[in-house]
Amino acid sequence: MTRFRRYLPGLPAYAFAYLVFLYTPVLLLPVFSFNDGTIVAFPLKGLTLKWYAQLGAQETLIRALFNSLIVGGIAALASTSLGLFAARAYVRYRFPAKEMSEGLVMLPLVIPGIIVASSMLIMFVSIGLKPSLTAVILGHTFLALPFAVSIMKSAFDEFDQSLEEAAYDLGETIIGTFRRVTLPIVSPGIIASLLVTFTVSFDEFVLAFFLSGNQPTLPVYIWSQIRFPAKLPNTLALGSILLLASILLLVVAEYFRRRTSKTSI
Amino acid sequence: MSDQNIIELKDVEKRFGSFVAVSDLTLSLKQGEFFSLLGPSGCGKTTALRIIAGFQDHEKGKITIDGVPMKDIPANKRPTNMVFQSYAIFPHLTVFNNVAFGLRKSRLSKAELDQRVNEALDMVELTGMGGRKADELSGGQRQRVALARALVMQPKVLLLDEPLSALDKNLREAMQLELRRLQQSIGITFVMVTHDQYEAMTMSDRIGVMFEGKLMQVDRPEVLYAQPCNREVAAFIGGMNFVPAELIKEDGDQLQIKAAGFGTLNIDVNPNVRERGSALLIGVRPEQLEIAATKPEGYDSTIEGTIANVAFYGESVHYYVEVEGLTDVVSVAVPNYFHTVDYKSGDKVWLGLQNSSIIDLGKG
Ligand SMILES: Nc1ncnc2c1ncn2[C@@H]1O[C@H](COP(=O)(O)OP(=O)(O)OP(=O)(O)O)[C@@H](O)[C@H]1O
Ligand SMILES: [Mg+2]
Repeated sequence: MTRFRRYLPGLPAYAFAYLVFLYTPVLLLPVFSFNDGTIVAFPLKGLTLKWYAQLGAQETLIRALFNSLIVGGIAALASTSLGLFAARAYVRYRFPAKEMSEGLVMLPLVIPGIIVASSMLIMFVSIGLKPSLTAVILGHTFLALPFAVSIMKSAFDEFDQSLEEAAYDLGETIIGTFRRVTLPIVSPGIIASLLVTFTVSFDEFVLAFFLSGNQPTLPVYIWSQIRFPAKLPNTLALGSILLLASILLLVVAEYFRRRTSKTSI
Repeated sequence: MSDQNIIELKDVEKRFGSFVAVSDLTLSLKQGEFFSLLGPSGCGKTTALRIIAGFQDHEKGKITIDGVPMKDIPANKRPTNMVFQSYAIFPHLTVFNNVAFGLRKSRLSKAELDQRVNEALDMVELTGMGGRKADELSGGQRQRVALARALVMQPKVLLLDEPLSALDKNLREAMQLELRRLQQSIGITFVMVTHDQYEAMTMSDRIGVMFEGKLMQVDRPEVLYAQPCNREVAAFIGGMNFVPAELIKEDGDQLQIKAAGFGTLNIDVNPNVRERGSALLIGVRPEQLEIAATKPEGYDSTIEGTIANVAFYGESVHYYVEVEGLTDVVSVAVPNYFHTVDYKSGDKVWLGLQNSSIIDLGKG
């Protein structure tokens, strides 16, 4: 048996090459954001922070950032609230067509974004909703829902149902039980879900591109700027900040997700 | 205990789809009584308890608590409180806030609330532990918190679902006595669900034995042990040797029977037996048989046998004796007075038996 446990000689090298290939472009982004020159090529011309310093002055960029924060915030709140109730129902109750409903909720994970985006555009236009931030918020809520549902489901999986019964038994109302017992116990899951769904929305391009109209979100704005070489270093600086922020956000989200499984013994 | 009935159940029935989980449940419990529902796993004990608590609806029947019909009264408005099998301690709250949880709804002043909670903590011997977090508690302490949290509400009936089953053996035995003492000192009616016959017998005023959703017999522990109503109840509580017999004559409260291996015997009628035919079943508790090397004197019947097996239990020794005419070996329990095991397999022995030790178990 031990013979099988030995790996092929090339495997570690392959794994290493794979990781380099995957992450070099990501690392190049911050490197060039400090480059004192507009041409993205080695050798570097010298270090500078000016691309970062200029960011604050670019009004359209700031507006796009705000658009993204608004869309991300509302979509995160909406998908997490929906996910909270859906997950509780999926974990606690048996009802007709439960499996099918769960499958449908998870569907956005596998449908190609371009199809979702174009069909949403058609649908929104046909019901009279012009491309706008509202349309993007609706689209992102839909996209983020599967993430919210699965995070909240794992929070409820760990949740002993008799805790709710105990609160009700002690004279609390159904709403009071939810507020005083259910919410606090699943709150780490809620925070994790808010962070993840926010990130999903914040990064999203295709839907936002189709639905945002003349109110671009940040990814859409960055895409539009890439065509102007002079603006590229600014975009790289912005990209580096976003990269750092997303990593921080996901680390925090993961921390809270792990907390859920610990607190609800 | 007073004579007043605190709970009355009448013909309560609960179905899950076509499966009948509880049927014909009729029961009256006295104020201040410690009542146990005893039965094997899946017999419907928890379902019955949850029906009383209001967590489970029921199709048929009527429940009255302290004279008030419980129909349409939800669990959070019933004068009952529950100690859950998992204890259901709120993990995000301290011990104090767990116990205070139900009181927050009543408009008590801060001082009154503190006092009530501290009294409850004293009662379960958790004095000074109010500041602990739920995850800093041992199993026994969690159990006490669950108890204090329910008792602080001053329920008319406290419902307990296998409250001790998660504790280890020594702690469980200590808690059995403590729970009993607590119940007697506060005088609240306890309804406890358990599948542990010893737990039920050591703690309860009365026990209801349940099989497959039906209450078979409700009695004081010693009556249940001496006069079980049928084979199932007899087998579930304590050890029992079953012997098939034939009814010769029924005469008032006496039965003349012919039992396999033992011959003709005169035994008392068991008033709890509901059905009796010409084929009878009798039972003898292992500790009621005398075992001796020579024929013992002064017994209503004696019988010869051969030791098939010996099992040493510490406080007693069990001998399994083959007797001619009986298909099952007869088990005999001898208290371990002198730290000796007197017989070994293959020994010839005599068994002695008084007629008064023989239990009539009705239809065979
Ligand atoms: N919600 C439910 N839906 C369907 N069947 C149920 C439900 N709750 C209980 N049952 C069934 O009813 C029967 C009685 O269950 P119950 O929990 O009352 O048993 P129990 O006597 O408490 O057993 P245990 O000692 O194992 O806890 C079991 O066969 C169980 O499978
Ligand atoms: Mg049970």
